[in-house]
Amino acid sequence: MSASANHPVLIVAVPLLFAALCPILALWKRSICFPWALAGVGVTAFFSWSLIGKVSSGKALTYNLSGWRPPWGIQIRIDTVGLMMACLITGVGALLIVYSWRYVTHDIKPERVPYYYTLLLLLITSMLGFSITGDLFNFFVFMEIFSITSYALVAIAEERRAIRAALKYLLMGATSSLLVLFAIAFLYSVTGSLNMVDISRQLAKLSPGFVPVAAVALILFMVGFSVKSALFPLHEWLPDAHSIAPSPISAILSALVIKMGVLGILRILFVVYGSAFALESTSWSRVAGVLSWTAAIAIVAGSLMAIIQRDLKVMIAYSSIAHVGYIVLGICMLSSRGMTGGLFNILAHAMGKACFFLVAGSFIYKHGIRRIQDLRGIGRTMPVTSGAFALASLSIVGLPPSAGFIAKWYILWGCITRGNYFFVVMVLLGSLLSAIYCFRVVYYMFFTGRAARAEPVDEVPATMYVPAALLSAGTVFMGVFASLVLPALSGAARAFLIR
Amino acid sequence: MRGILHNINYTVAALLFLMGLYTVLVKPNIIKKLMGLNIMETSVFLLIVSIGMVRDGNAPVVTEGVKAAQMVNPIPQALILTGIVVAVSTTAVGLALCLKIHETYDTLDAFRIPGRQEL
Repeated sequence: MSASANHPVLIVAVPLLFAALCPILALWKRSICFPWALAGVGVTAFFSWSLIGKVSSGKALTYNLSGWRPPWGIQIRIDTVGLMMACLITGVGALLIVYSWRYVTHDIKPERVPYYYTLLLLLITSMLGFSITGDLFNFFVFMEIFSITSYALVAIAEERRAIRAALKYLLMGATSSLLVLFAIAFLYSVTGSLNMVDISRQLAKLSPGFVPVAAVALILFMVGFSVKSALFPLHEWLPDAHSIAPSPISAILSALVIKMGVLGILRILFVVYGSAFALESTSWSRVAGVLSWTAAIAIVAGSLMAIIQRDLKVMIAYSSIAHVGYIVLGICMLSSRGMTGGLFNILAHAMGKACFFLVAGSFIYKHGIRRIQDLRGIGRTMPVTSGAFALASLSIVGLPPSAGFIAKWYILWGCITRGNYFFVVMVLLGSLLSAIYCFRVVYYMFFTGRAARAEPVDEVPATMYVPAALLSAGTVFMGVFASLVLPALSGAARAFLIR
Repeated sequence: MRGILHNINYTVAALLFLMGLYTVLVKPNIIKKLMGLNIMETSVFLLIVSIGMVRDGNAPVVTEGVKAAQMVNPIPQALILTGIVVAVSTTAVGLALCLKIHETYDTLDAFRIPGRQEL
């Protein structure tokens, strides 16, 4: 037993412990919350990044909790996508905690700050647990934890509109969680097991009388996870919740929490209901088809709605809806290239969108600016922040050499392989519309406003512009060095499609 | 008809779920919406427990002379205990938000709270 054998469970146990102790330590000294949270995420990052290289596309890393073998025990099953999500969550989470240090003084009452860090640590814990678990009910519990902590975090600044946004998010999110629980109940009733791999084996040899039950469960799962990932018809909660939340929370919600919904769709469609079930029942490929259509509409509808917005954060929130459309379209194209593109877009969009929200937060922190037209000339007084936005917008639009370009290229390749030229047109149209709303902001920031007079550079504190700059540099880095990650993702995509 | 009566637990769970969903969608009072959410949660828990039921079954405790097949399945009961905890947490956050809404807007009518554009 090597020393690193327990790293899988420590990925979830360590931030949970740090989250539990955070309010107690805050009773002693409130200023300890920030270093404590940063230390927690740092240790977790060490554990999750240490597993890189131990997971390959054919074989997932499994770990049985307390030694109980599945299907009686809960199993942690880290496959390539789970590991990528774990590394992404800890990396982006650490940067957001650094950013939060100064930002919370602007938005949140001082006595609430320990609860902010506690909830943030719980959010990170639950997302990590959701990404790496192999047990269906454990999946549901972690989904509920990240949902409830995000409802609370949206409302934590106690802004007037935030309360209503949080309530709308709560009602829609809780209903979708119940749909998922209903589906888990159906699956348990026909298979008698809760382990994902075990259920997929049972579904492959399900007796024909029970196939409709499993098909209904599939549809309930898809609707539930579509609400969680804000896929087109069920996206109504996202613009309010993501725009009104405090900016680091908007960043983590858009970058990571909605990707959990997409991860749910991925796990249910390809791990639990493998292609063996697809042969039995036509509902599987039909579900993938319907999802790809709603995703395509999401791309164009989200981008169009983003163009007409006047508030910067609402525009960025609608752009998130469009990008979830890209990701789900890539995944549901059922081609390995398309799925690689969808998975890579999770990475690209997480970094790009987090950078966008951090930049929007910096503008709010420094000048109280929320509307796009008030951003005139701000590129002169806040060059690093505005530059980070401009660089990240390359990824959001999908221009080389950014990671967004690679992702869209693979998604387009997948659509062409499948012969769906309508989707090709939708993806390209989405990119054009993204260019309109992103570059409009860049135009206001750099190419308008008072000229000639040399205004002094008056930036936000370093702990706020460095995370934004790192994230935008990360999108370019991942674009140029995509070969670090792409082979693993292609392998994962092929493994999903042949199960 | 016989199918419905045989699977009465599924039917009742589905009906209760729909009644809860109707309450969440239609009733303007936010506390009623939260109660509708609780009704939906109750319906799912009922379904899960009823799946594990064995007719004239014993409690799932190891006793002499009782075979495993005669015991009621304890796993669904563990699942719904977890589910109830989750439901209580969601309701708690929802009620805290209700308190804040009442403090801020002096009403609990969901259709009278101004939307994002109106503020």
